[in-house]
Amino acid sequence: MSAERRLAPWIAGGVAVVLVGLIAVLIAAAPEQQSGAATTLLDRPAPAVLGEFEDGTPFELSRRRGSWVVLNFFTSTCIPCRNEHPELVAFVDQQRSLGVDGAEFYTIVQHDEPDSVNSFFADNGGDWPIVYDPNFSFQNGFGVAQVPETWIIDPNGVVRGRVIAEVTAEFLSTTIQRLREGA
Amino acid sequence: MSNSRLLNRRLKSWPGWVLLVLVVVGFGVVGATRDRGPLDPGDRIDELSRRVACPVCDGESVYESRNPASEAIRAAIREAVSQGTANDDAILAAIAEAYGGRVLLVPRATGFDALVWALPVTAGVIGIVALVFAFRRWRIEAGLAGVANDEDYQIVAAERERLGDAGGD
Repeated sequence: MSAERRLAPWIAGGVAVVLVGLIAVLIAAAPEQQSGAATTLLDRPAPAVLGEFEDGTPFELSRRRGSWVVLNFFTSTCIPCRNEHPELVAFVDQQRSLGVDGAEFYTIVQHDEPDSVNSFFADNGGDWPIVYDPNFSFQNGFGVAQVPETWIIDPNGVVRGRVIAEVTAEFLSTTIQRLREGA
Repeated sequence: MSNSRLLNRRLKSWPGWVLLVLVVVGFGVVGATRDRGPLDPGDRIDELSRRVACPVCDGESVYESRNPASEAIRAAIREAVSQGTANDDAILAAIAEAYGGRVLLVPRATGFDALVWALPVTAGVIGIVALVFAFRRWRIEAGLAGVANDEDYQIVAAERERLGDAGGD
């Protein structure tokens, strides 16, 4: 038997093993979820992002260290944003009742005009700070493709949670409480 | 006799192979190293935008999409290019860091994504090796078949005579 004939089955077997292994990896790999909350930023320092309030005053996220911070990315025309708004009002009220231990809450406006945003808040309540993102600093820093999204950042400036869906007051409160106790 | 013919055949055939290899290597080198000339910032922004998928669209790049998310990514690319401190890979890496690796239309050459680049090359190498083995085997088999010698001619002539093949070829 020639060397080629002896070698051929081994080469074919090796190729087959590699192909089977690849197929197994592809089958076993968890599909990347478009709407999932997975982010490379989780448990890492929040990006250094800069926005501004309606009057042009800058808002620098890194200066909020020392407090739990909740960022809610929002557009006034977005239906899920409208749906979750009462829950956000309840959450902010609940956090304010905790005094200095309560989390700070910010709306990060995405692709919307101050008139529309102000009108929405006048109609639906909510008196927390509203931050505009004219240079897409927040959007690109956090990789927010759609609204609503809610991010939780701990007092060390580390990203601790991301929710790509409507949130409830109870969910936010219990999540932050759990993170506080685990921190 | 037969060995010299084989050698002669090989000598006649190898310049063709050498030429083929030179052409392939030449095209490869030119393709890998050609200088496309300086891109202006606008071209660079467009090119980078074409390499990033709109994160909320189906089958559109950031360059094509009018979605607000794509607009934001274009702005990030524009800003990074205008700052001039990051190369293309760093700009794309920053976008992938925030939006996830799925937005990169050209897969990275590291990690699991590297399979996209490695598999075709591996398949090509395996194919070439297999062809080399196959050509070698065919050549050996052809050599074993040999070249007709005087004895063969005598056998054929005797057989033709036996069969009464007296009239020409």
